[in-house]
Amino acid sequence: MTAAAQEAPERRNPRLVTLPTLPGLGGLYAKGVASSGRIAVTRSPVGRVLPGPRDVVLPDVVYRVADVPTADVTEHLTAYQRLVGERVDDTLPAGYLHVLAFPLATALMVRGDFPLPLLGLVHVSNAVSVHRPVRVGDVLEVRASAENLRAHRRGVQVDLVTEVSTGGELVYRGVSTYLAKGFRLPSGEEPLPEQTDEVPREDFVPPFPTARWALGSGTGRAYGAISGDRNPIHTSTLGAKAFGFPRTIAHGMYTAARALAEVGAARGDAYDWTVEFEKPVLLPGTVQVAITRTPDDAAHPGGFTYVGWNGKSGKRHLGGTVTPR
Amino acid sequence: MATPKTPQTTTPGTDERPDALPVEQPGRTPALRDAYVLGGNRIPFARAGGKYTGASNQDMFTAALEGLVARYGLQGERLGEVVGGAVLKHSRDFNLIRESVLGSSLSPQTPAFDLQQACATGLEAVVTVSNKIRLGQIESGVAGGSDTVSDAPVAVSEGLRKALLKASHAKTLGARLKAFAAVRPGDLAPSTPSTGEPRTGLSMGEHQAITTAAWGISREAQDEVALNSHLNLAAAWKAGFFDDLVTPFRGLTQDQNMRADSSAEKLASLKPVFGKHLTPSAPTHGAAASEAGGPALPTGPTMTAGNSTPLTDGASVVLLGSREWAAEHDLAVLARVVDAESAAVDFVHGHEGLLMAPAHAVPRLLARNGLALEDFDFYEIHEAFASTVLTTLAAWEDDDYCRTELGLDGAFGSIDRSRLNVHGSSLAAGHPFAATGGRIVATAAKLVADKARETGRPARALISICAAGGLGLAAILESTASPAVTPAQSTES
Amino acid sequence: MTDKYLSAVNSGFTKTLAKKLGLPRPAVLRRYRPGDPLVPGPVLVIGEPGSAKDTNAVAQALLGWDLDVRQNAGDGETRWGAIVVVLTGATSPADFSAPVLELGANLRRLAPGGRVVTVSRAPADDDTPLLAATRQGVDGFLRSLAKELRAGATANGIQLTADAAPDSTSALATLRFFLSGSSAFVDGQLLHVGPAAAEATTDWDRPLAGRVAVVTGAARGIGAAIARTLARDGATVVVVDVPAAGESLAKVANEIKGTALQLDVTAEDAGARILEHARTRHGGLHILVHNAGILRDKLLANMSPDKWDAVIAVNLLSQLRINEYLLGANGFSEAPHIVSLASTSGIAGNRGQTNYGASKAGVIGHTRATARLLAPLGGSANAVAPGFIETDMTASIPLVQREMARRVSSLQQGGQPIDVAEAIAFLASPAAAGVNGQVLRVCGQSLVGA
Repeated sequence: MTAAAQEAPERRNPRLVTLPTLPGLGGLYAKGVASSGRIAVTRSPVGRVLPGPRDVVLPDVVYRVADVPTADVTEHLTAYQRLVGERVDDTLPAGYLHVLAFPLATALMVRGDFPLPLLGLVHVSNAVSVHRPVRVGDVLEVRASAENLRAHRRGVQVDLVTEVSTGGELVYRGVSTYLAKGFRLPSGEEPLPEQTDEVPREDFVPPFPTARWALGSGTGRAYGAISGDRNPIHTSTLGAKAFGFPRTIAHGMYTAARALAEVGAARGDAYDWTVEFEKPVLLPGTVQVAITRTPDDAAHPGGFTYVGWNGKSGKRHLGGTVTPR
Repeated sequence: MATPKTPQTTTPGTDERPDALPVEQPGRTPALRDAYVLGGNRIPFARAGGKYTGASNQDMFTAALEGLVARYGLQGERLGEVVGGAVLKHSRDFNLIRESVLGSSLSPQTPAFDLQQACATGLEAVVTVSNKIRLGQIESGVAGGSDTVSDAPVAVSEGLRKALLKASHAKTLGARLKAFAAVRPGDLAPSTPSTGEPRTGLSMGEHQAITTAAWGISREAQDEVALNSHLNLAAAWKAGFFDDLVTPFRGLTQDQNMRADSSAEKLASLKPVFGKHLTPSAPTHGAAASEAGGPALPTGPTMTAGNSTPLTDGASVVLLGSREWAAEHDLAVLARVVDAESAAVDFVHGHEGLLMAPAHAVPRLLARNGLALEDFDFYEIHEAFASTVLTTLAAWEDDDYCRTELGLDGAFGSIDRSRLNVHGSSLAAGHPFAATGGRIVATAAKLVADKARETGRPARALISICAAGGLGLAAILESTASPAVTPAQSTES
Repeated sequence: MTDKYLSAVNSGFTKTLAKKLGLPRPAVLRRYRPGDPLVPGPVLVIGEPGSAKDTNAVAQALLGWDLDVRQNAGDGETRWGAIVVVLTGATSPADFSAPVLELGANLRRLAPGGRVVTVSRAPADDDTPLLAATRQGVDGFLRSLAKELRAGATANGIQLTADAAPDSTSALATLRFFLSGSSAFVDGQLLHVGPAAAEATTDWDRPLAGRVAVVTGAARGIGAAIARTLARDGATVVVVDVPAAGESLAKVANEIKGTALQLDVTAEDAGARILEHARTRHGGLHILVHNAGILRDKLLANMSPDKWDAVIAVNLLSQLRINEYLLGANGFSEAPHIVSLASTSGIAGNRGQTNYGASKAGVIGHTRATARLLAPLGGSANAVAPGFIETDMTASIPLVQREMARRVSSLQQGGQPIDVAEAIAFLASPAAAGVNGQVLRVCGQSLVGA
């Protein structure tokens, strides 16, 4: 929170940049790769301190696309719904809205003044609120901004916030937290204990599974094709090896979206959906999953927790919650 | 009742019960009457890839039907309805039961329809036909099911399927070729049906392994259920119990999976097949969880090929009718179909075990009928796995579970194990999904009829079947008030 | 089962060849088909002078069946469908001379598939030596004549017992059976026929209408043929076989609109279960055909206990136990008929079949004893002894032996299951009640046991 508090004064009046349409991810990647290279060249990523305080400012800008039509997404939506196991209907699930808004957030991350390299950013967690369902045909306004640059035990974290509204009403807000490993804030600020965002490994005792996902080697390519996120670590073994993985890894948001889908209709029309990613899921691979209904009591609203882990190693891949609003 | 009452019944003073049903009128559905099990027939159950390889569901259902027709002399008879289904079904079998009827010796004017409720298909068919009889819509009917894994449908991959559909709609050769251009080599591999739950990706065995571990059911207890199943079934075969319940098919004269020489040692020597990758976890339910006064010891994998049902091929049918129809056709009445209750559980969210729905169905069924768990002479609990029987029984004995999950005041109760699956069940006979209900109903009906004849008192059987999708179906059969006439009691000449 | 030799010598080029080579040429037998005439031509009825009244009575009865009946051989052109010789009044062997010579003169004019039937009096215990010689003489005459007939023609005899009239119900039923295609493979046989209380059959196409019959071993072969034939004749049939044969049994039941009862006849409660089924499902039990039987051939020196005991248990003890139960429980409805399957092996013996022969001779024994119990009920107990019948069972006999067994009969062929079934249907019919305690061989007058 320190970082957020520190930056807050500067972000009172961010510059609103309206783009005519949602950008295409392909072009953004090319740009992202280039700028990542620039960042890598000028600031060696490992253990490097980001340059002086003047430079660690997030771009004070909100990207906006005013009129995003959804009338013609049906085919794409159906493909998404089939892939992650959502019910096929005209509601845009939270994961789909994430996919929809993702290019705008990416556009922000590939700006020249974005302080962290796109490639190498690790998606560590995601928190979404759906205030009311978005349906095919709704005309959406999508906004994206970067916030809350802060120190982390293993680097620097930043939140990419996307908001979707229709008719002036906020219907979706997603916060994607990314970690740039090996970077440190120039202030030498140390992460607060609660910001480690990790359950100590030894504390995780796998529960009885309620489901199992057998993920084929093409899982990354399939989700990449639909989400547009064709990051080579998901789609190409060589690409994955370049980033230190023995094989391709599943998109975190794909696994989280499957968990959301498996909660199913019980999540209601409006809900909060969180996920924290831990060990990546190597493909092909099998994920043990447990979805647990949390009782509705005075202290906590009823909802669901989910966790996915490797049945052999017992290591956690992801965990999160789905809570009806 | 939405039907308007007659002026007479609404006149004050003529009807003291305001909620009374209107008096019967011409054209109105008659009041409920009873439906009875009159007999049954099945073909011996074969192990997958065994004697019935190449036989289709229709072949097997027709064979079961023909045996029934032969036993009860129903040649040329126009029955009210034949209802049944198959779990693993070819799309060409959309009218499986009607086609079977047309291939049988029944009157071709006998209507039929397909029904499916996973492993409860057969029992649900019995309930459906019974209800039609009870409503007076039909006088007689046949209920049953058929399943083969040896002739299971094999589908093309999703990619090829889409290409084929696109090509079939294409108007030009070029468009057709273009449709196939999208097919990748991997698409040519066939996609076979799996027993995995669509929503969880876990097979039924893996699901049950979780439930088994959660209830801390021991390997020994499961093996004992399996052993009893084999020994009881073998004894029943030897005693001729199935002589009028089974008609051989394709040279198979007894259930192929049955091992009359099974022993505890043999069963103990088998390696676990389900729950192997289950991370050892402590039981969370029942005595096993509470005994230690804390987290009990983790249970290793316990489910083997011996205490799980094998994949099986087979078909079964049950003959049902009104008392009047039975009398007109000189058929003895075996048992009355008293009532049935289905239930479902939320296994997707891990709230309940996949196969635990019968634990919910039975208490509701018994409450509605004013019966207690001990009020039965026979318990036919389908042995999907030995542990499904044991977890169900453990659940009913668990005070906490019955309060929180079943909404009861306390433990539902225990059963006399000597009345459980007395002539064996699916572990020994095998479990051709849709055929199991018919097997159990015919067996139970004969059991209560025999018992009533033997003791002169009515006898009652409880049937429960768990099914994929977290489903469960339970039913009550009761011998009739006047047991069948024995030869000693009537002489004609 | 097909007899390829028989087919060959009766058709095409091979027929000509067989004729030229003088090979034995077995005939295609005239078998019963609904709608066919009873006999393939006019019937010549002749009698010795002392039997004139009976001869006239027989001729009258035949006229009653709308047959072309002649009592005079006439123009010498007629092809006789059958010749009936009435010898009931003969008091001396010398009385045979005229009628048999007249018969002889007409034999060449007997149509293919024609019939010779003698009607005489059975020898009785109080016969004088002269009368006994006279009546017994018919036996040897008939059997020898049967061996002289060709082209599928047969000769059989009715031996009236007690004071049974030649036109009494059972005598006429027997005469009709011998004349018809139903007795195609019955040759050289004499049946004792006594008086019966039964009413004459009116519907000859469905003589078993309203009767409930149980046939054991009915899943295949002869048993299935029996079930079909009884059903054809109007009976409601319960087909019984071991549970393991249930699939074929169901097919038979459904084909004949009967009911299937899967039952091991050796079971302790077999009789009770048969009775319960027949009673509850069909309201009674009139006909019981003990057909179930097994073979376990072995020379006695090599006989094992299981082979001996199984054959005795299935072929003989089961019949005894079931009969005992049914008679003890007063289980039969009115006019019960029991027909048991014996065998020519039980009459003449057969090497390697001591167990089978014992069981089948036992059947003949208990049939005679049971007959006395059923007579007061207006019923009968009889046995049918098949010779070589073309079945799955005999198809497994090695070729040379099989060919020999086929050709040693007067008809030079094996019989068909239907031939046995026809004999049983006849014996099970109400009108045949006067035939009681008899063993009817259906063997084409085989040397074995003939």
